[in-house]
Amino acid sequence: MTAATDSARLAGAAPLKAAVSAGSATRGRDGEMVWAEGVVKRINIRSGAGGDDKSAAESVLAILDGLSLNVDAGETVAIVGTSGSGKTTLLSLLAGLDLPTEGEIRLAGTSLNQLDEDGRARLRAGRVGFVFQSFQLLSGLTALENVMLPAELAGQADARERARATLERVGVGGRMGHYPHQLSGGEQQRVAIARAYAAQPRLLFADEPTGNLDLATGARIADLLFELNRGNGTTLVLVTHDMNLARRCGRVLTLTGGRLHAA
Amino acid sequence: MSGAGGGSALAFAWRGLRRGWRSGELVVLSLALIVAGAATVAVGMFSARVQQAVERGAGDAIGADAVIEAHDPLADSLTAGIHALGLRTVAVVEFASVVAPVAGEQVQLSSIKAVAPGFPLRGTVKIADQPYGQPRVAGGVPAPGETWIDAHLWTALNLAPGALLQLGGTTLKVTAAIVDEPGRGGAFAEMAPELMMNAADLPASQLLTAGSRAQYLLEVGGEPAAIAAAQRLPLPTGTRMRTPQDSRPEIQQSLKRAHQFLDIAALATLLLAASAVALSARLHSLRMRNEVAVLKCLGASRGFVLRGLVLQQLLLGLAAGGAGAGAGALGQAVLGHLVAPLLNTALPPAPWTPVPLALGLVVLLLAGFALPALAEAASTPPVQVFQRGVRGSHLGRMGLAATLAATAALAVWQAGSAQLAAYVLAGAAGTAALLAGLGWLLVLALAPLRRGGVAWRFGLGNIARRRGVAVGQVVALGIALLALLLVTVVRSDLLASWQGRLPPRTPNEFLIGIQPDQVGPLEKFFAAHGYQNLDLWPMVRARLAALNGKPVTADSFPDPETRRWINREFNLTWTQDFGDDNQLIAGRWWGAAGQGQPWLSVDQYAVDHLKLRIGDTLTLEIAGKQTTLQVYNTRKVRWDSFRPNFFLAVPPGVLEDSGAVQWITSFYLPPAQRSLLRELVRQFPNVTALDLDAALAQVRSIVDRIVAALELLFGATLAAGVVVMLAVIEGSRADRARETALLRALGASSRVILQGLLAEYAALGLLAGGVAAIAAQALAWVLAVRVFEIPYGPRPVLWLAGAASGCLLVTAIGWLSLRGVLRTPPRQVLASA
Repeated sequence: MTAATDSARLAGAAPLKAAVSAGSATRGRDGEMVWAEGVVKRINIRSGAGGDDKSAAESVLAILDGLSLNVDAGETVAIVGTSGSGKTTLLSLLAGLDLPTEGEIRLAGTSLNQLDEDGRARLRAGRVGFVFQSFQLLSGLTALENVMLPAELAGQADARERARATLERVGVGGRMGHYPHQLSGGEQQRVAIARAYAAQPRLLFADEPTGNLDLATGARIADLLFELNRGNGTTLVLVTHDMNLARRCGRVLTLTGGRLHAA
Repeated sequence: MSGAGGGSALAFAWRGLRRGWRSGELVVLSLALIVAGAATVAVGMFSARVQQAVERGAGDAIGADAVIEAHDPLADSLTAGIHALGLRTVAVVEFASVVAPVAGEQVQLSSIKAVAPGFPLRGTVKIADQPYGQPRVAGGVPAPGETWIDAHLWTALNLAPGALLQLGGTTLKVTAAIVDEPGRGGAFAEMAPELMMNAADLPASQLLTAGSRAQYLLEVGGEPAAIAAAQRLPLPTGTRMRTPQDSRPEIQQSLKRAHQFLDIAALATLLLAASAVALSARLHSLRMRNEVAVLKCLGASRGFVLRGLVLQQLLLGLAAGGAGAGAGALGQAVLGHLVAPLLNTALPPAPWTPVPLALGLVVLLLAGFALPALAEAASTPPVQVFQRGVRGSHLGRMGLAATLAATAALAVWQAGSAQLAAYVLAGAAGTAALLAGLGWLLVLALAPLRRGGVAWRFGLGNIARRRGVAVGQVVALGIALLALLLVTVVRSDLLASWQGRLPPRTPNEFLIGIQPDQVGPLEKFFAAHGYQNLDLWPMVRARLAALNGKPVTADSFPDPETRRWINREFNLTWTQDFGDDNQLIAGRWWGAAGQGQPWLSVDQYAVDHLKLRIGDTLTLEIAGKQTTLQVYNTRKVRWDSFRPNFFLAVPPGVLEDSGAVQWITSFYLPPAQRSLLRELVRQFPNVTALDLDAALAQVRSIVDRIVAALELLFGATLAAGVVVMLAVIEGSRADRARETALLRALGASSRVILQGLLAEYAALGLLAGGVAAIAAQALAWVLAVRVFEIPYGPRPVLWLAGAASGCLLVTAIGWLSLRGVLRTPPRQVLASA
């Protein structure tokens, strides 16, 4: 593992700042896939017994507090942390699903701060894949149709062929016409992984991909994930609290106190 | 949570209600209940008011709300008793007398009508300066010493305006010709040339002496309740009271049909509201399951949960039903204000009875359509706390039975007649099946259309992929659209067809008292003026002497209406063929085989009142001679055809020589040719022409009044349809939010997501609208032919309009109610488990 050298590239490192100032406002340096600088995420929390309780008061909670991160193309990075440490919030910010309160994030060299919701969606289409803890397959769609979806949205003409091939690769080729509720948990996550890779994205975000699976199934799913990642040269950002899974990544970062630290 | 007590169940119910309201789950359910309550109250109140207004209009036809008839002067005590009820009266005396011009030799037996000031209590007398002149409304009654006479008498006596007439011991000056007066157009055959005079001149005429044959009438007017009370007053023998309902079958039939229109529209509204209740209750029940499972884990019993849910629904029902009743009462009040000028009458105040009825109905809706789903929720096993997600529900046998029973109760309650209810329900069930079948085929047909832009592909893909859900949505939306279309179809097509029963050239003139030897010359007269094939009918008058060989009198029948009917003479005709305004009910038409046979064809009215069956015999007394006839067939006469029709008819060759035969005919006379009547009466002085324009206008005005009521219902039905669509869309909200977040995470822009949604709803609306239009046509055809007995043909334009409006409506509602969902932030995809 290269954890020691990785820590040098952690947020706030000097060489990166130079690269940014040399480039344009929205373009990062070549090879940079995810870049975050001084990211703060605060949320307002209403406390009190009930929603309509007059005594309810609002307080501000800082989940992320000046966090920085740099992930290069082809890297695999695991982010670990305790429950409530803000892993999922970080993931949603890095993927452009949400915007930080302060700080800047670039995805594939493009600053997310200057893009609106749709602009961020366009940036993701075909470039970013997801694997979720709860699979997030659309219940009305068959396995094949679920896997076709990202390629369809990216306007790729061969969506169906790609989807078929990827499903074969993840070992559920025989269940293409089945609906999610007809599949086991492991099979559902295989379909979800197939969906993540079918459009051959450059970047994959995985949120506790084995969290809902038993140990043996989880291990097989993890094997599949890394195997596909190697084959495609995809950049992987993985959020988990499973250290065994995290250690399979090139770098492991721990989220505590709203910042990332090398493990 | 040991809580078996009613108090804690109430607290549980109350909390659930507040939460359901805040989260929006119960909003659609409440809307459905509000619409149902509003429709019931609005229809109940408004139709009662219109009915009263129409009955008052029918009162215009006889000149009063009721008429008391006697052969002797009425006792003052009776008049006082009627006044005590708050009713107004005006006295009229009718008798026959010979009239002669002071300067001239002709004499004419005439019907004399002596009226007191205040006549008529309802409606107006129309007069003209001379016969067939420009009519105007008379401001009162003839002044003492003056008289108004009808065109028939005027022509018969060859008078000039201002002529003096000798009537008994007095002389009266002719100042106007009577064009129309209340009471004309009833019993045609009794009409003789008429003279109207002021009652103050009666003593001077010295015509009314003891034993003279006169009819003393007391016209009564006032509030319906007081009229009803007057009908219960004891009357001396030989005295009878009649109301507009006793006569005027054409108005009765129009009224009945009008109420059927209202009932169907109201039933459609309620069925829609019921489906919205069922849909939203099911959604609520699905969402309740996890909570119920947790409650049971913590120790709540099924009974406790069920009590809580039932209480919750009851509270919701009373609140929403009450709000709906208020909205309905307000709506009909506003409408009443708007239409009262159009109806040319002040609407009577609304009764309050529909309010408790509406609350009862809302409870019935909840019991039949919401409770089964909630009972399912209450039986959620506690083990479900360990199972993720929510399982679909299947209505148990009891739930299905409750729903079916409630549907039937609803239909019969609202439609009033089991037959009408059965038609509407069969139509609804058949339509649901048809919609499901067609929807399935169309959804399959959509699959190859998934080309073009990603949005279109995705939207259609959503339908094609979720076939079962899509078919369900097509059925629900289709039924909503069907009800909307049916009401518009009823409003335009059926109403037009109904009004078309009185086509522009509906006969507006009756000629009565035509003698047999005048038939030929009369036909020649009309042929010379361009009228071919005059619709001439022979007529003899008969009195019922025996039924199945048993002598009968009016006293043989307990029913007062039958007694009154038996007391009068029947008009009989003979014919080989019946017009298309006669519908065969039982037996066979006799055709040429009937020639000379002692057979009888009887209208349904006589069948019902005399309890006749095929083969029964009636002995009729005609001009002093008894003839026994056997019932050969029964038929239903459409009295509002304005053509001569008869309760009883025999084949040709039976009554020709019975003596006392007269002929009658009806024809259409354009207003410009009214001078023809003057010429006719000059050539055939004994023939009386009856102008039916007023009666026709009256039937048409009833139709117009009902249209106003339908406008109101149309609004309610539209609201119910929209609520059903909201319920359908609401059911998919959570899934759609999740889907939107995921699609955005995967890179779909909001434009693509919106276009996908619009494509999906446009396609759904197109399918549902097209299918609903076809079903509406079919249902309208069944209703037209089987219930309303009016002709009806296909309307292809409606199919296109249905598909287009369905597409627009569903897309608009889908967009309006889901545009918030389209803003679901993509981070939700990580938050939701």
